[in-house]
Amino acid sequence: MLEGTLTSLQIFFLTLLFSLPLGFVVARGRMSGNRIVRSLVNLYIQIMRGTPLILQLIFVYFAPYYLIGVSYDRFTAVIVAFVLNYSAYFAEIYRSGLQSIDKGQWEACHVLGFSKAHSFFFIILPQVVKRILPALGNEVVTLVKDTALAQTIGVSELFRVAQNASSRMFSTMPIFVAGLFYFVMNYVVSKLFDLFEHKLDYYR
Amino acid sequence: MPDVMVRAEDIRKSFGQLEVLKGISFTLERGHVLSIIGPSGSGKSTLLRIITQLEKADGGTLEIAGERLFEDALYVPLASQRRIARYTGLVFQSFNLFPHFSVLRNITEAQRAVLGRSKAEAEEKAYSLLDRMSLADKAKSYPCQLSGGQMQRVSIARALALDPQVLFFDEPTSALDPELTREILSVIRSLAEERMTMVVVTHEMAFARAISDRCIFMEGGLVIEEGVPEEVFDHPQMERTKRFVQSFSQE
Repeated sequence: MLEGTLTSLQIFFLTLLFSLPLGFVVARGRMSGNRIVRSLVNLYIQIMRGTPLILQLIFVYFAPYYLIGVSYDRFTAVIVAFVLNYSAYFAEIYRSGLQSIDKGQWEACHVLGFSKAHSFFFIILPQVVKRILPALGNEVVTLVKDTALAQTIGVSELFRVAQNASSRMFSTMPIFVAGLFYFVMNYVVSKLFDLFEHKLDYYR
Repeated sequence: MPDVMVRAEDIRKSFGQLEVLKGISFTLERGHVLSIIGPSGSGKSTLLRIITQLEKADGGTLEIAGERLFEDALYVPLASQRRIARYTGLVFQSFNLFPHFSVLRNITEAQRAVLGRSKAEAEEKAYSLLDRMSLADKAKSYPCQLSGGQMQRVSIARALALDPQVLFFDEPTSALDPELTREILSVIRSLAEERMTMVVVTHEMAFARAISDRCIFMEGGLVIEEGVPEEVFDHPQMERTKRFVQSFSQE
């Protein structure tokens, strides 16, 4: 079960590592002044949010084989699919945060002479982070549970391993233990987000 | 040092079909206070936003502190625009303080990031300004802990910290109740006494009359009347100005 747990954790952390920053790129595209870029990114987000992740996993893994006859590592496919999916969700969260910042903040930056980068990283972004933390926490908790879907394309993550063990042992105990892991993991995630939110409570 | 701080000539601006400024001209001398009055939607704010470079003009010529920002709506190169922007400061109606920064950092951030002052230098400046604004004890507070009047005083300090040559106020008291309004007006009055060059867009008629050297009445994107406050307020030439000023004195 330990190996399965590690696989699940790997999926979790690698997905976050890539999709958190990639979400920003997607959000920028979604708010782009260029109409073609905007509608393409919009379509991508619609597909990612409008179809089951389980289907996206299958597509990402099998499509290259059927289209150009290339197959690749299952674990890589899981990461690609998860990153594609979660970037879309994160992008929408970032966008909602960015658009909730009062226009006056940008104007004050401009009048005071801050560069665009300084305005964004020191003035706007910290305020965005505070506003999107609850939504972000929600999404990360979902990701912990979604890692169980990796078994669809044959990656032995925790839940698959637990199911196998269950049938081998004629007992539901392993599945129960797996459930406990997800619960504990998400308890930690929630606590971390609470802590972070609390740290940013010093201003409104 | 040039004696003319702002020289605006035939400034024009449209938003789509809507012509907001239809050719505004005025000059402001160093050390003078100009008040701009007029009904909402007359283009007062847009004029300030063009001078402080939050909007681009569609027509006209503008000089600040003897330097040209644009001529016939043709702007000077970006580097010059930025340099000229340093001559001007703007105080917003809605303060626009940075909520995640302490009062002190609200005032020091631009000094350090834009003017390259050291931390000690910037803080010294900030404390002396806070002192003038009677807010010395609020340096470590956050904007959300302040009253509206205190927030507006911080935002005035924030603008003054960059040593602008001319300071613009866009309805600085419109978000405040009468008591807090007095607080802000007395700050602006004390700046006027120190011969700070200022342009104040306001609905406070008595105040405008008392502190300004010149006054402009704007409506529909045009200057309807211009002169010393006594002329504009007591002996307006235009019927429209008369009605506007009267509607306020009836209050």
